[in-house]
Amino acid sequence: MSLYVRRRIVNAVGLALSIFATAFGLFWLGWLLWTLVAQGLPWIDLSVFSQPTPPPGDVGGLSNAIIGSLLLTGSGIVIGAPIGVLAATYLSEFGRKTHLASVVRFVNDILLSAPSIVIGVFIYELIVLRTGHFSGWAGGMALALIVIPIVVRTTEDMLCLVPVSLREAAAALGAPRWRVIFAVVYRASRAGILTGMLLAVARISGETAPLLFTALNNQFWSLDMGGALANLPVVIFQFAMSPYEDWQHLAWAGALLITAGILALNIIARVLGRARK
Amino acid sequence: MDKMSFSHHISQQYNEELWGILDNVMRMGGLVEQQLGDALVALVEGDNERGELVVTSDYKVNAFEVRLDEECTHVLARRQPAASDLRLIIAVVKTITDLERIGDEAERIARMALHLLEADRRRSPMEEVAALGELVKKMLHGALDAFARMDTEQAVKVAQEDIKADSQYEAIVRNLIQHMEDNPKSVSPIMDILWSVRSLERIGDRSRNICEYVIYFVLGKDVRHTSFEQMAAEATGDRR
Amino acid sequence: MAYDGSSARGRIDLRPLGSYKREQTVEDARARQSWTAGVEQGAGQAAKGSAVTCIEVRDLSFFYGRYQALQAINLELQARRVTAFIGPSGCGKSTLLRTFNRIYELYPGQYATGEILIDGSNILDKRQDLNLLRARVGMVFQKPTPFPMSIYDNIAFGVKLYQRLSRYDMDERVEWALRKAALWDEVKDKLKQSGTLLSGGQQQRLCLARAVAVKPEILLLDEPASALDPISTLKIEELIEELKGEYTIIIVTHNMQQAARVSDYTAFMYLGKLVEFADTDTIFTRPREKETEDYITGRYG
Repeated sequence: MSLYVRRRIVNAVGLALSIFATAFGLFWLGWLLWTLVAQGLPWIDLSVFSQPTPPPGDVGGLSNAIIGSLLLTGSGIVIGAPIGVLAATYLSEFGRKTHLASVVRFVNDILLSAPSIVIGVFIYELIVLRTGHFSGWAGGMALALIVIPIVVRTTEDMLCLVPVSLREAAAALGAPRWRVIFAVVYRASRAGILTGMLLAVARISGETAPLLFTALNNQFWSLDMGGALANLPVVIFQFAMSPYEDWQHLAWAGALLITAGILALNIIARVLGRARK
Repeated sequence: MDKMSFSHHISQQYNEELWGILDNVMRMGGLVEQQLGDALVALVEGDNERGELVVTSDYKVNAFEVRLDEECTHVLARRQPAASDLRLIIAVVKTITDLERIGDEAERIARMALHLLEADRRRSPMEEVAALGELVKKMLHGALDAFARMDTEQAVKVAQEDIKADSQYEAIVRNLIQHMEDNPKSVSPIMDILWSVRSLERIGDRSRNICEYVIYFVLGKDVRHTSFEQMAAEATGDRR
Repeated sequence: MAYDGSSARGRIDLRPLGSYKREQTVEDARARQSWTAGVEQGAGQAAKGSAVTCIEVRDLSFFYGRYQALQAINLELQARRVTAFIGPSGCGKSTLLRTFNRIYELYPGQYATGEILIDGSNILDKRQDLNLLRARVGMVFQKPTPFPMSIYDNIAFGVKLYQRLSRYDMDERVEWALRKAALWDEVKDKLKQSGTLLSGGQQQRLCLARAVAVKPEILLLDEPASALDPISTLKIEELIEELKGEYTIIIVTHNMQQAARVSDYTAFMYLGKLVEFADTDTIFTRPREKETEDYITGRYG
């Protein structure tokens, strides 16, 4: 067998295997989405958005959980993103090769892969036990702790992609350092940083474990971040486990909502990322 | 200036081009030297065969000039020579112009020689003319030698000979004028000889020019249109 | 030869060839003897106006951490002239350029010793304000570096740092700078468009306009045309020619022909040392040092 023929065979086999692997992954994803749509879509109606979670056997929706999730995710990103961006700025603009920076990077990587339940327990210990009650703020803090490492990582990567020559060019005009960073470096990596934040939002909007220990749940409509707050993941968790059929239906609807939301965020992040180039 | 340095370009092709040009200048120089020698034999000894040969061979000198011009243009256009390479090309372009003119002078001498009758030849101061011819031939040879070896000392020596050539020329001219005054009938043949002698003197000047190009090429100093003393001082003085 | 060439040549104006040496030879034949020695010290004095020293480098050494990249450089650069730094990669020519606006200070571990006097004051002094220095000494880099903002803002960015201009004055300044860089006609209808959408050559001219807009005294050009096509390169060279009446320009280039074309003076550097510094004609026709000769003629080192 000639070398060329052998190569062609190896090539064909390799190609077939990778196509199969891709199809395998897509198959489960497709099945999952199909199940979600099939089970969730019939139960999505106006009342899902307009009424709070009902007692078993009663009519209701998910409005309190949806607004709670928005509040928790929002506070998580509002607290976490600035800290993450500033930390990344230190790493990329000031630290770069210092010892401190490599320690920070290492710790950040650990935080990035820390199980979210551990973060939930940590905030429970730190805030819930001290204040004596579950609260939206505690939930937001827990989510922020998840946001920070993601934003640090993506932002640092994006800042490092900004060519050194651009910084030099700005500095060579006599621009002070903060001006170089704000006016040129951030601007050049704007889309990338935003993409990182969107991915962080997508990640935390599905988190259940840290919220179980912090925001917990609330049967009633509430906008009070100081008290326990309903949120989609925990409601899904609770309702899906319940023996009541209408609760299970709402859980399916919630699951579909979250998935659709995350899918949308990912697509937006993709589009933004492409626009950057 | 180290002649061998022409082999040190990173581009081997460039080395070969420069070597080719130098080689052709030497071959052209050899040809012109031979033309001059033959013309002198024709003039002094009345060898008409040699005279014819010189007249019919001048085209070769011209062809050399055209070809070398092309080669130099090629190097200028393609290599953008700098420093010593640039000076070499400039020196070559000028040298071949002078060589071609020397060839023309040789041809003119040969033509005069063909006109000249044996009787006229006997009446003229042929010995002095032959001496000037030998001196000028030696100068041309020396100039080409200096060029080949890139030897400024040699170039200065040749340039010095030009002073001698000029005074010999003036002596012959005086002699010939005397002749014409004494024998008004022989004005025409003597004019021919006068022109030949004039050509010889011009060849001396052009040989000196070549020596100046050698000094320009080697030292980067322009010594044209200066007195011999200045030239010698430049060439030997501060050798940077 | 009794022929007096100098007086004959004196009537012919050889100036278009741009050499002060020829003017000196015209004066009298004897001047020639001193000219070869005189060019290095007094070059350019016969050229338009008298030469003014703008930058004086004294015993400048430069270190990347423990590695010494420049070894006791001494150099005097003339005001409103173009000086080219040439030499093989790693010879220190860019490093030397980067000391003139201390841009190296962006990086820890890099430092310079010695003195660089600009208009008489030592810019390596600790008390020298870096941002003010850089406003006086503009720089254009090898790769075009348009900021991710509109063409207008690219120019206005540097101006706003040190001057408060009314909207009208700023408009005028932007136009002035773009005209200086021969870019105005190409971009006047799209000033709000992002600078990054321009072609490479236009981007580089934008960077030149940006540097000129803050009205520096000195322009540092670090291989400004090495990433450009030949036509864009010629445009940049043409700009250098036009700008040199008002600015002291220092250009680092790998392209020897470019140095020969645009510069009045050329410095050849090798292994962190300044090997030879003279007017460009001298460097390219009869360099004094063998290293220079070997480099510009393309011989083995």
